[in-house]
Amino acid sequence: MRGLFPGVRLPGVQLSGAATVAMLVVAVVVNSALQPNFWSGYALTSNFATFVPLVAIAVGQTVVVLSGGIDLSLGAQVTLASVVAVRIVDGQLDRLPQAVAAALGVGLVCGALNGLVVALVRLQPIVATFATSFVFSGLALVVLPTPGGSVPLEVTTAYRAAVLGVPVALLAILGLALLWWVLRRHRVLRHVYAVGGDPEAAYASLVPVARTRISAYVLGGLFAALAALAVLANTGSGDPFVGNELTLASVAAVVIGGTSLAGGRGGAGGSILGAIVLALVTNIVFFADVPTTYRQLVNGAVIILALALAGIPALQKRRPAA
Amino acid sequence: MSALLEMTGVRKRYGGVQALDGASLTALRGEVHALLGPNGSGKSTLDKTLAGTVVPDSGEIRIDGAQARIGGPRDAHALGVAAVYQQLSIVGDLTVTQNVVLGLEPARRSGFLDHRAARDRAATALERFAAAFSGRLPLDRPAASLRPGEQQIVEVAKALARDPRILVLDEATASLHKEQVEVLFEVVRELRAAGVLVVFTSHRLDEVFALCDRATVLRNGRTVATVDLSSTSEDALVRLMVAAPRPEPASPPEAPHRASAGTSAAAHGAREAPVRGGTAEPGAVALEVRGLTTDRLRDVDFTVRAGEVLGLGGLQGQGQSELLLALFGAARITAGDVLLDGEALPLTSPARAARAGVALVPGDRARQGMFASRPIQENLSLASMRRRARMKLALSAPAERRAARSMVERLGIKIGSLNDPVATLSGGNQQKVVIGKWLLDRPRVVLLDDPAKGVDVAAKEEIYAIIRGLAAEGAVVILNSSDNRELTELSDRVLVLFEGAVAEELTAAAITENRLVSSALRLAPGETL
Repeated sequence: MRGLFPGVRLPGVQLSGAATVAMLVVAVVVNSALQPNFWSGYALTSNFATFVPLVAIAVGQTVVVLSGGIDLSLGAQVTLASVVAVRIVDGQLDRLPQAVAAALGVGLVCGALNGLVVALVRLQPIVATFATSFVFSGLALVVLPTPGGSVPLEVTTAYRAAVLGVPVALLAILGLALLWWVLRRHRVLRHVYAVGGDPEAAYASLVPVARTRISAYVLGGLFAALAALAVLANTGSGDPFVGNELTLASVAAVVIGGTSLAGGRGGAGGSILGAIVLALVTNIVFFADVPTTYRQLVNGAVIILALALAGIPALQKRRPAA
Repeated sequence: MSALLEMTGVRKRYGGVQALDGASLTALRGEVHALLGPNGSGKSTLDKTLAGTVVPDSGEIRIDGAQARIGGPRDAHALGVAAVYQQLSIVGDLTVTQNVVLGLEPARRSGFLDHRAARDRAATALERFAAAFSGRLPLDRPAASLRPGEQQIVEVAKALARDPRILVLDEATASLHKEQVEVLFEVVRELRAAGVLVVFTSHRLDEVFALCDRATVLRNGRTVATVDLSSTSEDALVRLMVAAPRPEPASPPEAPHRASAGTSAAAHGAREAPVRGGTAEPGAVALEVRGLTTDRLRDVDFTVRAGEVLGLGGLQGQGQSELLLALFGAARITAGDVLLDGEALPLTSPARAARAGVALVPGDRARQGMFASRPIQENLSLASMRRRARMKLALSAPAERRAARSMVERLGIKIGSLNDPVATLSGGNQQKVVIGKWLLDRPRVVLLDDPAKGVDVAAKEEIYAIIRGLAAEGAVVILNSSDNRELTELSDRVLVLFEGAVAEELTAAAITENRLVSSALRLAPGETL
């Protein structure tokens, strides 16, 4: 929209939405061809169970990216929230509420810290959150130096159960989508879009810019806490390194989902699909009998391809004259 | 009537430029008060201090007799001030409705938005401007998809939705059609009748006389006078604005500049290099456009002689800007040929067009013409760096500065330091930087898209002198202008465009304002604005 033709506007969001859905369809088809029992209840349940953490963190990253920022500490927040929660719950079901509250509290505090550093101290988000990620991972090591702790069996069992044939993990994903749908209707998210789209115009329009930025990071932290709870429910124990790979995967999911890294345009619906695409790619590489030593390489190549496909509409928008 | 607004001793400094130097403004409720002055006189800054987007270094603001502390837009809003900014406060990705209610969204106590109330409020605010949208309000369209004039109207409606007792209109008519201006004036008169104070900043004096009751004139950041417009002539007003001896017309762009002669081999050598393709005799056809067709242009044919100024007229948005973009290699050409001195111009990218000697001074100066936050020096030397680069690689900092300095002096650009960001300059001076950037590249074809838009009288004259100088040097000049007077003053010929095609060609004596208006309108009987 800021190219040489300000008047011409290709429907970039819808276009990349279609691209994301197309990628999901391809990923599902390929995966079900390679994984013979893909549609069986067991495989579906365990697939969805592994998707939830990435989906949750991708939604959180979307909010931050929409506000014009980025949060490279989300993975570390997942780690910190999960180890705090696992220390508190310590295998006992009656301590579950406190553990959940503590995880959410960790997300809230981490998000607020990031928000303050970015919005008030005015550090570059990418550097500021990179720095805070070390603080959060460091704290996680203090809380739980080695993998351990245990989650009540009831929780891990329920997480892999099904309600009326629908896996609980899938319900969790739908719940995250619903949460996003509700948030979209709140003033804070409208302001997030405005601040990410044009901070100066937002400021002149009475939008509380700094407060909105902080809110975006806090929401990011809360979704990281939800991701932490899903990680615990899925793995059953704590691990002080569990969130490491989630950070950049969340950014990739956001991009595959069609949200502009420049802020102000996109939404978490696409990011949820993007997260599932990313998770399926890992699956596909596993079931395609790629030799172990090549798995990471192939995985990366496929992700680059997915990012490129998602970027094509944006590319057309940038260069109408090409 | 008592004074609703009193601003006294307002000072504001940006880097090296004292934008406001003790300005004052006293205005009454129920009046339309014009704020006038040449570019760089501080009008916009004064508007912004009132609206809260600029906090003055010192000074006092009283509203209704009470001292007002305006530290941000929210304070201004609490005091009943709403503003229409020259740089619109529209977020392109949000819809029109979302923009109109932005910052003050109707919501339940929990913060969840009330979409119906938002739509109602936006519809109410826009309804008075329905005529400007051909009757259909684009409430659910993304604001970025509207035309500039329509975005401007949305900006005004947004300010009105804030129910102000002081409304600041900063260049609010710059991108509007005549018909849209009329609608806006009607609304302003209603507001005046309702006791609202409207502070109106515009470069168009006819608008000021048509609409305003009184005018305050600023010069160099100070208030010169406040006059009653019913007893002031246009001449007297212009004299107040440019009381200082009028700046000398800029010297022709190619005039040798002695100050730097012989100081640097690189800069000197570049200046002595022969002008590319300068074989055309004055008067010979230099640029030939045959059957040019793009998404927005249909079969455009014309020729321009070296040293000729070709104007582009017609209603706004009939393909004038697209024609300039196409000639600059920035639009995909689906058919047609463009020849410069008999050779095909490579119009596949702006970089190739520029190398072949084409320069574009774009209409959206802030976004396409300059790097607002980069230093003036960089902006000036950017387009012509390759001419001064040694072995196409190494730039010499002193040579770059000399080149920039020479252009600052030649065009009379008013700056603090070459290191200040361009954004710190006034609109007219920014535009001179954008033009100067290309003059350093000594182009053969100069495309100008509304170069004097939003620029004050004195700077306009200087820009006109630059344009005439370019033509006198033998350049091909193509000028798109929304100001018919500008076209009559500068053009040797005018092409009137309609829906992407040349509808009429006016030459010499036929180029009159009346003829331009009738030519543009007669062809658009369906246009009901």
